[in-house]
Amino acid sequence: MDELLDTRASLQETMKFLGAIASGIEEAIGESANSISYLAGKRLGMKLSENVAQTDDIEKALGAVSKVLVDNSCLWHFETFMPHDRKELIRHTEQGEELMLVFRDCMIRQSLFTFGHHQKGSLCNMMFGFFSGALQNIMGCDSTLEIDHAGENACLKRLTLHRKPAEQIPVKRKGPKR
Amino acid sequence: MVEITVHEQACRGCEICVDVCPTKVFELDSQQRLCTVKHAEDCIACLSCAYLCPSGALSHSNYHSVRNFYRDLKFCAKMEKFL
Repeated sequence: MDELLDTRASLQETMKFLGAIASGIEEAIGESANSISYLAGKRLGMKLSENVAQTDDIEKALGAVSKVLVDNSCLWHFETFMPHDRKELIRHTEQGEELMLVFRDCMIRQSLFTFGHHQKGSLCNMMFGFFSGALQNIMGCDSTLEIDHAGENACLKRLTLHRKPAEQIPVKRKGPKR
Repeated sequence: MVEITVHEQACRGCEICVDVCPTKVFELDSQQRLCTVKHAEDCIACLSCAYLCPSGALSHSNYHSVRNFYRDLKFCAKMEKFL
């Protein structure tokens, strides 16, 4: 039990440290802090998903990302969200395919609250990077994860997959040999 | 599904909940100057409305409360490998 209490104390200190780093680098280097967090997340996403089977199906890919997180004991549970006025989960826009995700348990949010730091800061870009890295491995395309709303108990994010529309490959027909 | 209760005697119709809700769950009843729950099925239980309501007129039930994991001993045991 003592060991566990020590672990808990270490975890709390780590969280405060994480929040302090985020706060510090934002003040020191400004918007570049977002890139650092993004790249750290992307590296983590690529590393943890390197052995995951590739797929073109978005829902299967999200299932794979979720499994990667669970398998690695990462408290970053998310689920897809479809508002009542939307007919389909995935919307096709000019930017690509777009869907909404709800994040409930999030270790970054908890770290920020522990430190008393505001949401939507540089640390939140880590999840954007994680998705970007993991989906790059699984689907082979770039993606963007934007925060639509950062709440106290859940966050609503917009995932956009920047996939080019399937190129129409002209069918080659074998003509008579001349 | 998340259940939202609006305590009508407390609600002042300030519309903060209408403005803050990312999924447009609330609507203002302009005649009674009360907020009403229009699309409870869209509530993601972010609880921003309840936190921001100046008169504490909103309460939620039947939702997933985020784990305060730094107090969760089981989770601490899991996190040990990262430390």
